[in-house]
Amino acid sequence: MSWTSDPILVVDGLVKRFGGNVAVNQATLEVGRGTIVGLIGINGAGKSTLMNCIAGMYRADEGRVEFDGQNLIGLTPHEIAAAGIGRTFQVPRTFERLTLIDNLMIPMLNRPESEDELIALAEAGLAEVNLHDLKMNNGEELSGGQQKLLELARVMMLEPKLILLDEPFAGVNPTLCTLITDKILQMKEAGISFLLVSHDLTSIYRLSDHIYVLNQGEVICEGGVDDIRDDPKVVEAYLGG
Amino acid sequence: MADLSQTAPTATGALGRGSDIKRQRRIRRAIWYALILAIVIWCAMVPVRDGNLSIYFAFMLGATMATGLNFVAGFTGYMPFGYVAFYGLGSYVTGIAVKLLGIPVYLAVPMGGCAGILLALAFAPTLRLSGIYFAIVSLSLAIILQRSIALMPEEITGGSLGMNIGVLTDRIQGYYAMLVVLVMALLTASWLAESRLGRSLKAIREDAEAADAMGVNVVRSRLYAWLVSAFFASLVGGVQAWFTGAFDTFTAFDVLVTAKAIIYAMAGGLGTVIGPVVGTVVLVWADELVWRAFPELNSFLLGLVIALLILFAPRGIIGTLIRRYPRLRNYFM
Repeated sequence: MSWTSDPILVVDGLVKRFGGNVAVNQATLEVGRGTIVGLIGINGAGKSTLMNCIAGMYRADEGRVEFDGQNLIGLTPHEIAAAGIGRTFQVPRTFERLTLIDNLMIPMLNRPESEDELIALAEAGLAEVNLHDLKMNNGEELSGGQQKLLELARVMMLEPKLILLDEPFAGVNPTLCTLITDKILQMKEAGISFLLVSHDLTSIYRLSDHIYVLNQGEVICEGGVDDIRDDPKVVEAYLGG
Repeated sequence: MADLSQTAPTATGALGRGSDIKRQRRIRRAIWYALILAIVIWCAMVPVRDGNLSIYFAFMLGATMATGLNFVAGFTGYMPFGYVAFYGLGSYVTGIAVKLLGIPVYLAVPMGGCAGILLALAFAPTLRLSGIYFAIVSLSLAIILQRSIALMPEEITGGSLGMNIGVLTDRIQGYYAMLVVLVMALLTASWLAESRLGRSLKAIREDAEAADAMGVNVVRSRLYAWLVSAFFASLVGGVQAWFTGAFDTFTAFDVLVTAKAIIYAMAGGLGTVIGPVVGTVVLVWADELVWRAFPELNSFLLGLVIALLILFAPRGIIGTLIRRYPRLRNYFM
């Protein structure tokens, strides 16, 4: 039974194998429009692999991924980005030898606006995450936390309908953590949906409308925050029984 | 579509902020165009004042090859060890067009450039490879092309004696043709650096997977860079044939042609527009100085200079200066 009446993303029976290793096994989940869905699990549970399959970086061996009514299987990552799915990475992947302005212009290169308009948009994007003063610095000159912010600003430039957030709070100090949380909530208010992967359960519980728990590539349970917090299968998966 | 008005940055209120960026862009352009003008004036005067044509031709050839290689190696991170294939093909297409078909050399050279584009399209599937695999396969393809031309009938390619078109061409005209090709390459480089395609290529160089996820069509962008790069190498090969009047499969497909292009571009700074020119000026000048002072030690000392440069300035002269003094980014393309 579906938990949302208006899913923007439907993953159905997704399987991804690497040789004999089944990294994602019959995973099924939904992200409701304008909601934040948490995806948790211990290291190696298959969270990032599932993200990569949705974003087109890995080709799923079986199953279906449908986004806003469009089948994503077989599309390339840039086609999926154009469809409206943005993503960030567990370890920030900024364009290190490009200025912050150029970093933010990359997702907008297919847009019809003029160069000057794109620069203005990029500057405004940097201001949103308090990085405007560093606009002419290169990506490699930022701290780890600042790189997380830059990635968040960069993915916003895609004007996505759904953002796949992979560990946005990892290695980030509490102040930046609050800023990132605020930005996520603002974007949710604006109607953007999220699939959020994080080891920071406090943030997951605070932000998520619905949570899926992945273990050894399988979704072992799902539900609201209270359901998940007390579920014995989750406790067993995290603490080994 | 989500309503981003509350969160996504909009141009409202932000327009006009970019004036400092525009000013910096104007400064960078002014410096770059001044440099091109200086090169044109300096090189154009060499035949007039009976200067050493060979040295300046070598500089122009090196700078064009390094700039052409920079399109694919510096902008996308692909290192084509077999880059000389396009140069060699350009020489032979030009030679055959002039000698056998009686086509004027100024038309034959662009024909060589077009042949280079066709060869690049044929080699395009190799762009699926990356890193050292691409480098080795491109080198292999250059060797295959060299051997294929060497095995062609002697009446077409001249066989082991090579081709001689000296009586049909003018050396001074060839010199100026090289200057024209150099200026074309430099203008293309500056256009590319500031274009959307150029930004895509730089993002691909930094992280192809992340660029793909940000909507950049990686395969198409790489292909464009590859074609532009091949076009210039083929033009240079044709002009080299025009200038020297004679070539064979060993000189036209000499791996040193690729090696020099890589070394010049790396010494100046791969991925920067000005770097390949600076690298070529420094190394051609150093080569000449060393050769005059220590003819016996020329290769050893030049090799030492290159090794030291790569050891202590791995990003090249310009790249290292920019890393050390980030404000220079405002002045160098």
